[in-house]
Amino acid sequence: MSGDRIQGAFVGLAVGDAAGWPAARHRAALHAPWSRRLHRELDAFAEEHRLTTLPVPFALNQPVAPLALGPSDDAEWLAWTALTIDRPRAEAFRELGGDVRARVSVATALGNLARGVEPPASGHDNPHHFDDAAAVRAVAFGALGRDPTEDAQVTNSGDGVLGAQAMARAVAEAVATGSAAAAVRAALDVLPADTAIGHNARLALDVARAAGDPFAAVPALDAALLDHVYSYAVGAAQTVPVALALTEVAGGSPAAAVPAAACLAPLADSAPALTGALTGACGGLAAIAEGWISTARTLTGCCLPRLAGQDLLTLAATFTPTFTPTFTPTLTTTSTEEPA
Amino acid sequence: MTHRDRARGCLLGLAAGDALGAPAENLTPAEIRRRWGRLTEIERGGTDDTEYAIFAASLLARHGHALTPADVAASYRAEVIPRVAGPMKGAGFSELGTVEALRRGLEPPLTGRVHQHGWSDGLAMRAAPYGVFCPGDPAEAARLAEQDGLVSHSGEGVLGGRAVAGAVAAAMAGLPPDEVVRAALSVVPADSWTSRALVRARAAVESATNATTGPATTAGPGAATGPATTAGPGAATGPATTAAPQTGAEPGTGAVTEAGAQGDASGEAALVAALHEAVVVPHYPWTDLAPEAVALALAAYLAGGGEVEASVTFAVSLGRDADTIGAIAGAVAGAGQGESGVPARWAARIGPVAGACLPVVAGRHVLDVADELSALVQRSAQRGDPAREDPVTEPSRDRADGPPEGL
Repeated sequence: MSGDRIQGAFVGLAVGDAAGWPAARHRAALHAPWSRRLHRELDAFAEEHRLTTLPVPFALNQPVAPLALGPSDDAEWLAWTALTIDRPRAEAFRELGGDVRARVSVATALGNLARGVEPPASGHDNPHHFDDAAAVRAVAFGALGRDPTEDAQVTNSGDGVLGAQAMARAVAEAVATGSAAAAVRAALDVLPADTAIGHNARLALDVARAAGDPFAAVPALDAALLDHVYSYAVGAAQTVPVALALTEVAGGSPAAAVPAAACLAPLADSAPALTGALTGACGGLAAIAEGWISTARTLTGCCLPRLAGQDLLTLAATFTPTFTPTFTPTLTTTSTEEPA
Repeated sequence: MTHRDRARGCLLGLAAGDALGAPAENLTPAEIRRRWGRLTEIERGGTDDTEYAIFAASLLARHGHALTPADVAASYRAEVIPRVAGPMKGAGFSELGTVEALRRGLEPPLTGRVHQHGWSDGLAMRAAPYGVFCPGDPAEAARLAEQDGLVSHSGEGVLGGRAVAGAVAAAMAGLPPDEVVRAALSVVPADSWTSRALVRARAAVESATNATTGPATTAGPGAATGPATTAGPGAATGPATTAAPQTGAEPGTGAVTEAGAQGDASGEAALVAALHEAVVVPHYPWTDLAPEAVALALAAYLAGGGEVEASVTFAVSLGRDADTIGAIAGAVAGAGQGESGVPARWAARIGPVAGACLPVVAGRHVLDVADELSALVQRSAQRGDPAREDPVTEPSRDRADGPPEGL
């Protein structure tokens, strides 16, 4: 049923978010700033002393819970989108106030809005107009079968908006049919071949299909698709194509696709999350291991502090009012509902 | 003034701005003031701006008005990529991203779209030769710059190159600074980041200039530069001497000529702050954004009243991508003022380029390049060449393996 798949999309995104290594660094934002300063100093120390024992986020004198496996930025931005989805989008962003951590695109857009540069210029006059911030938020729009464009244009343009449209189309299709292949086709329909994201989506599918399975596709995707030049790896033209390709060759299985996405270290901030959303939408909640669901469902507020403690499953349930959240896997075996 | 004189002024101004700004790149304006006061003396050699401009001129020499993105891509494959063994020294993201795209077998315009720095100022920094080649024809200069840019850039990066080429083309025809900036705006869409940034930057300069030259009663704290937070007390109240017409300059809006700068450092600092407020992207650690660099450079050119030294020294005082901002301001001002407009002490520091970034141009001197561009333009004019046929008819692929044959 579609409600289960909506929950699968939400929780799947949070699972992928948690599975990528950058989540631990985002969650470390919950600790005192000096702990992150020490982390930077340990990095410098390792460089100076030629140590391969790399530092990881730590909790000296701090609560340890934030550094346990769990969701981070993308899950929080998805939840925020779901909670504000009926607000005019530029207004919703203005109402965020200053207490947020966000990608370059979103931070720049907030600055643009503050100086009177309205959408779509707020997302266009933006050095990271191409990133996947809107593609993450588009999971909420896709779950409801809504157009994410107005939301996407606040923070992105070009490939960034196309990435959002592709994700929304794919999630909507997956929620409706459960078919990974159909979801990928729906995404490709909105990605022109002469754009970077359209070119890369088709290239990613080619190399992933040739590799045969998600894990086998990892080196081929790295060689064919990844941008090894630029310093920030949240470009929609890379992350969305990787998510689409891994979703298809995994046959919509999150257990197969998400770990492969997490292996593409440069893209691990968001490609696993997008992959988790797509595959979660295909297979529904039942396709996600209970241990992962319980680990990923509760937000910590590392980027949007007001969302600390928010339960994604409960939130996803508000998208499907007739559906009572439960972890009973058999619910998906009687899928008869029409798409939302 | 002859075309050759303006061409030499343009490329000499570009090289001087590049070299002057190099040590100030990525520094804050406050740090630049702390280290140098006003940075006026060239300390080291130029960077990628000068070398890539020479490379662009070589494309024009071979292909003229018939230049296509395929020609440019062929030159990258023949002359740039084979010499990139290991590091690509001095390359910005757009250049290395382009090389990676070409290595993956892509063709333009995808080569400029698949990397993340389509908006970099890497085209704007090298676009001046297109303006030199098309004096008085900003639209054609912009069109040619775009042929180059479609290989390495997309979106606003292409527009930044168009704007600089258009500005130089107008300055090569002797137009005054305000009309030069209008020419730059005329070759980019009004609904673009480049246009919006340029309009905001120009307004900041005009606001400062009006406040400096206006009646004292209207000039209160913050009156000069819009947002009160960026304009300190006294920003608007320059000494009366700064209101005098600039010495021998073409009509301009000069707010920071030598006399003005010395007379009102606080007013200049306020304009620097206002320009940052108007166009600088705060939440991004890299500074090579074309909309920002082009707007800052042309604002510096306006503020300097079109004079080379005033424009370029103010340009590099803005920090950010200071070498490129200085190079653009120097190219536009130099095209307007000619070779004699470039301070002799700067010209004396400009020698043949080392080829540190682009080995293919090693040994070339910007003045020789300017002379050769000028000869091309004159030859084309003598032919009365309305069809703008390629002045050099050899296709570039035939010489793909050879060294560049001069210009």
